[in-house]
Amino acid sequence: MTTRPIAPKTTNTVWPQRLKDHVLPYLLVAPPILLMTLLIFLPAGQAIVETVWIDGAVTVAEYIKFFQSPILTANLWFTFWITLATVGLLFVIGLPLSLYLRFARGRIAAAVQMLALFPLFVPGVILAYALIRAIGPHGLFDTLLHQIGIDGYVSPYLKPQGILIALVWQEIPFTVLVLTAGLRQVEDTMIESARDVGASDWQTFWRIIFPLIQRALVIVFSLNVIGTFGAFTIPYLLGPAQPMMMGVSMQQTFNNYMDRTGALTQAVLTFAFCAAVGVLYVRTVTRSPEGRP
Amino acid sequence: MSTLELIGLTKRFSGRPVVNDVSLSVADGEFVCILGPSGCGKSTTLRMIGGFEEATQGDVRIDGASVLDLPPNRRPTAMVFQKYTLWPHMRVAENIAFGLGLRGLPRTEIEREVKQSLALVGLSGYDRRYPAQLSGGEQQRVALARALVLKPKLLLLDEPFSNLDALLRVRLREELHAIQRRIQITAVFVTHDQEEALSLADRIAVMNAGRLEQLDTPDQIYARPRTLFVADFIGQMNLLPATLEDGRLRLGRHVLPAPERLPGNMPLTVAVRPEDLAVVAPNRETDPGTLWQARIDQAIDLGHYRKILAFAPGLFVDAQAAGTVRLKIYAPKHFNAREGDPLWLRPDRYLVYPGGMAPIEIRQPLVAADHSASAIVM
Ligand SMILES: Nc1ncnc2c1ncn2[C@@H]1O[C@H](COP(=O)(O)OP(=O)(O)OP(=O)(O)O)[C@@H](O)[C@H]1O
Ligand SMILES: [Mg+2]
Repeated sequence: MTTRPIAPKTTNTVWPQRLKDHVLPYLLVAPPILLMTLLIFLPAGQAIVETVWIDGAVTVAEYIKFFQSPILTANLWFTFWITLATVGLLFVIGLPLSLYLRFARGRIAAAVQMLALFPLFVPGVILAYALIRAIGPHGLFDTLLHQIGIDGYVSPYLKPQGILIALVWQEIPFTVLVLTAGLRQVEDTMIESARDVGASDWQTFWRIIFPLIQRALVIVFSLNVIGTFGAFTIPYLLGPAQPMMMGVSMQQTFNNYMDRTGALTQAVLTFAFCAAVGVLYVRTVTRSPEGRP
Repeated sequence: MSTLELIGLTKRFSGRPVVNDVSLSVADGEFVCILGPSGCGKSTTLRMIGGFEEATQGDVRIDGASVLDLPPNRRPTAMVFQKYTLWPHMRVAENIAFGLGLRGLPRTEIEREVKQSLALVGLSGYDRRYPAQLSGGEQQRVALARALVLKPKLLLLDEPFSNLDALLRVRLREELHAIQRRIQITAVFVTHDQEEALSLADRIAVMNAGRLEQLDTPDQIYARPRTLFVADFIGQMNLLPATLEDGRLRLGRHVLPAPERLPGNMPLTVAVRPEDLAVVAPNRETDPGTLWQARIDQAIDLGHYRKILAFAPGLFVDAQAAGTVRLKIYAPKHFNAREGDPLWLRPDRYLVYPGGMAPIEIRQPLVAADHSASAIVM
């Protein structure tokens, strides 16, 4: 009897497979994780430490200082309020617009889509200056009104409305893109089936379309909240001097008052709020697709 | 009791007629299939009946009353689409109950109806599943249940099984047939699969390029296709150009008995089904003019029979046709067919199409000797 062990031939074929299954995924996610750690988590951690570790002891004094300052808390509330209004307006404008773009056909729809997406290709600074020229004092709008005999135009420039208009305009392309993508997942036949069994337009929207685009709605909501809450350029250029949005407030605290820790504290608060909304986003995006419990 | 009438139904998309002057009527409890090649306007016709497409002209009447002014949610029709028809965020029971809920039925009644309709399509116990947890065939059955639960006057189906594999398609087709017979619902079924149409329909409406070519029973559609298009589209058919000469049909070097009272000076086409082409033993005594000589080019085994493709250059005047057109012939399984072998054929039954007019059928007696006795069936 020969009991010569035969080398398992399979190892040769198994190795590349194993490489593919167990090594490759880690290699692929390593660079982004490394970058995120270096550029986000480390500085964020450092910032948090810096705001609570003062003179060799753990303290929340900086945070108490923030919440005791009427100006800073006003800034925080102002930011909340602008964020809420912006995101609300984005839904009020973006959802009907996306529904229209999803279901309308023809040249007019194509033109509307181009107009809606246009701000996507305009940097925020330029957008802000264009708005100042258009609706600012003695701007295009003012002049036109004046020409036809209407005076007393109050420009939204340096007012909360100015920020609102610009932020909404800036975020509409993203909102419309995500919502139309979500709406395109709702097949025509699903909508026609609903009509077929007797649903009115409103019932079709509320019972079929709306539940099927929830993921898109949450994505739009969370990313817009994060983007608006942390906005800087537009509030800086178009907003009032007081109250300010958090981004502007941070910059002021850092540059004008040279208060590094105070600015960091505001940054940490902003970051904490955005991170909480980010969790909502991540949970929605990673949830299994519709209809698979 | 529900009937459907289409009267001169026409649909134009930016001026281009897609459905052109289609008139037909469907009797109560009848199952009509709309059959035709891709893009001929079948779906558009069905969608006009269901209200998803506005008619450019003509009328759609259900039980004698025009429904053109009604939106789909108020028409007494129910539609089953080809795919993506269930709502993925609702369970099977919720899908079926949706329409009942909109009608404000009490909950217990809804539950009972849902149970009944699931039983009807053989899916009892599937009510808590989501569409994504069903196979394609099960999804289509749920769609059917959802349509039937509303007790529509008219069931509309747009290729409901064409996304399924062949075996399942046949099974579901048979189940649908049984259900339709049982509940006696009037139905219009769109398909581009002639086997499906032939096996399901009481009558078939064959469409081509937006027009209704023929509306007839499957038997008649197969036996006496009214137009050359239907002749070519349904089943296998040999189409041969012919001319009228001394009261006989001339096909190349061959002649065939011609029907009486054929209008002269018209391009004629002789249509022969493969099963009507008899393979005969080469007998020198029979009239060589009546037997067609052919040469086997290819023999294809199709289970219980063989399909033979053969050149018959003698049938054509045109040299190019003689070298390219192959006759389709059916032969028994044991028939010994080798490539290049000669073959003698006798058309026992054929249709003569004068120009664009209805065909005239001719049967030759089984004994080929006396062709003066050919039976002419008008
Ligand atoms: N909304 C539309 N706008 C313009 N043309 C259309 C529209 N819907 C259908 N058509 C055209 O009408 C013709 C008929 O379409 P239809 O869907 O009725 O064909 P069909 O017979 O159902 O074909 P298939 O078997 O491929 O489903 C096609 O040429 C199609 O391109
Ligand atoms: Mg179709």
